[in-house]
Amino acid sequence: MIGGFTRLLLFQGLGEVLSKFLLPFVPGPVLGLLLLLGWLSLRREVQQDLEMVSAAFSRHLGLLFVPAAVGVVMFMPQLREHAFAMGVALVASVLATVGASALLLRLLAPAADRHEP
Amino acid sequence: MSRELPRIAEIWVYLSGSPLAALILTLLAWQAGSWLYERSGRHPLANPVAIATLLAAAAITVLDMPYARYFEGAQFVHFLLGTATVSLAVPIHKGLVGLRGRVLPMLAALLGGGVVSMLTAVGIATALGAEPLLVGGLYGKSVTAPIAMGVAERIGASPTLTAVYAVTTGILGAALGRFVLDAVGARAWWQRGFALGVAAHGIGTSRAFSVNAEAGTYASLAMGLHGVLGALVIPWAARLLI
Repeated sequence: MIGGFTRLLLFQGLGEVLSKFLLPFVPGPVLGLLLLLGWLSLRREVQQDLEMVSAAFSRHLGLLFVPAAVGVVMFMPQLREHAFAMGVALVASVLATVGASALLLRLLAPAADRHEP
Repeated sequence: MSRELPRIAEIWVYLSGSPLAALILTLLAWQAGSWLYERSGRHPLANPVAIATLLAAAAITVLDMPYARYFEGAQFVHFLLGTATVSLAVPIHKGLVGLRGRVLPMLAALLGGGVVSMLTAVGIATALGAEPLLVGGLYGKSVTAPIAMGVAERIGASPTLTAVYAVTTGILGAALGRFVLDAVGARAWWQRGFALGVAAHGIGTSRAFSVNAEAGTYASLAMGLHGVLGALVIPWAARLLI
């Protein structure tokens, strides 16, 4: 578990350094993700401890959003004032996004791959 | 026997000055949210992130703790977002195996979905007269929150608002997605999962996993790819639109 965590931090650090000095328009963690992805495809297998840490992160990913999301208290007056506009925008947009993606997948999928499971 | 017990108020003043209070509060709120989510039979509307956020926000309001002080403690949790982003490489790597002829439709759905997400949200909110401060947070709302927040910082938008929109979008997508999927006739599990992952990132993904394993794998792949694509494209698109 600690081995996997250390590896993630190492790749995150590499990504941050790369973002700072070479590719300032991409966030460091995203570069870390891409580097790790490259490394995984070279090794062709995921070590068990990395797999464990990654699974733990996906299981509790939601916890990590809470500190930032609590900052919503600072935007309450503005959000209340524009609640209707923001509500409509968020609902309509997510429906349109699901619809557009699903439609593209359905229309472009190979013919043999369109059947019901 | 003469030693006086410290008064509750003193204990509180001491504790609330330490980062521990905010850290404990955050974790307790998350535990309560997870517990309620499980108790509701994993109902998409009983989202643990939303519950935990509401509880923690209510608590710091009642306790009169300024957000900056809360964050001093909560930053230890917040820091791990970057590490969690890196860990997304694992599901992407596993999802990329055995895609056969699905790569092209997936890339099209990713690009199409990403553009539709940004344009509809920003367009509708602007048309309905929302102020630019609030609209700025909408650019990354379909991207998984850890990446969306990094992107928000780069385009001068509020990471907090972006996180709030991302969580709201995730909940809406998880709750309403299946009606749209049925309406457009997407029946294959890989298509349903992928579309949900594009639109509703991590929350949509956990919803997809609870319905079908293949849908879940494709949803996490979509979430990861949309995160990478968003990080590359959104700063550029935002500069174009603003």
